Amino acid sequence: MSPSPRPAVGVELPRLIIESIDAEKMKTMAALLADSNPIHWDVDTVKELGMGDQPVNQGPNNLGYVMNMLGDWAGGAERIQQIRVRFLDNVFAGDRLEAGGTVTAVGDDGAVECDIWLARDGTHPVLAGTATLLLS
Amino acid sequence: MTSATQTPTIEELESLVGRQFPGGTYALEPWRVWLTNDVIGAPQRTDGIAHPMFCYYAAMAGLGISINEMFTLCYASADDGPMFGECDIQQLRPLEVGSTYTVRGEITSAVRKQGARTGTFDIVAFQLEVVAADGEVSSVVSNSFIFPRRSS
Repeated sequence: MSPSPRPAVGVELPRLIIESIDAEKMKTMAALLADSNPIHWDVDTVKELGMGDQPVNQGPNNLGYVMNMLGDWAGGAERIQQIRVRFLDNVFAGDRLEAGGTVTAVGDDGAVECDIWLARDGTHPVLAGTATLLLS
Repeated sequence: MTSATQTPTIEELESLVGRQFPGGTYALEPWRVWLTNDVIGAPQRTDGIAHPMFCYYAAMAGLGISINEMFTLCYASADDGPMFGECDIQQLRPLEVGSTYTVRGEITSAVRKQGARTGTFDIVAFQLEVVAADGEVSSVVSNSFIFPRRSS
């Protein structure tokens, strides 16, 4: 369902939940990006680096989940005009993630500004930032 | 020339600003789009509009050097533990599946910082434009990397 063209400031965006990050998809993305960093597929390397015992998700994947959340709410990810984020922590295979956001401003031109976030188990932030969408 | 992983001088660091990347092209081939959508859980659309993450993928794949070459350019290597800083994506016009885009860009800032816990680190930012075949800029991607400078 598409939102009102003029949502109220303070409205919370419907959360997107990813129940479990799939290690196999990290391998596919590593191949697509020609990403040679073994932390995305080689558990032994992850252990040697003291980063835990699960592969580390590619950072851009995490941004993709947040874009999906925005696109689900806005009626299409093409409505995202700008998104700015900081990567705060790693996401690992098996993690449960929640993506969400809050409307912070609505312009006369239909541009809607939001604070956005991605969190492990809904509480530990792994990504945060802002987005601007054009809803009408 | 300073070798990779050796901390550059401030002058060497600042000289990176304005450095242009070779650039290149990026084709949004349907198979690549499908697989990428599958990985990030995005819908498989049939209207030819690509997911906005392709602004990022196109920019990074088309800048003309690899990530490891980028690290070397910034006097670092993957072993130094470089991290993503900020990522800013402007989607001016949605990218289209099946189209090929030209990428151009340059390093826009390079600054040294000192953190109480983190020690010395450098932040190098760059901006990339993803340009459609008609010459219109479809997307502007600004990224930064953080380089710990443990040897300083």
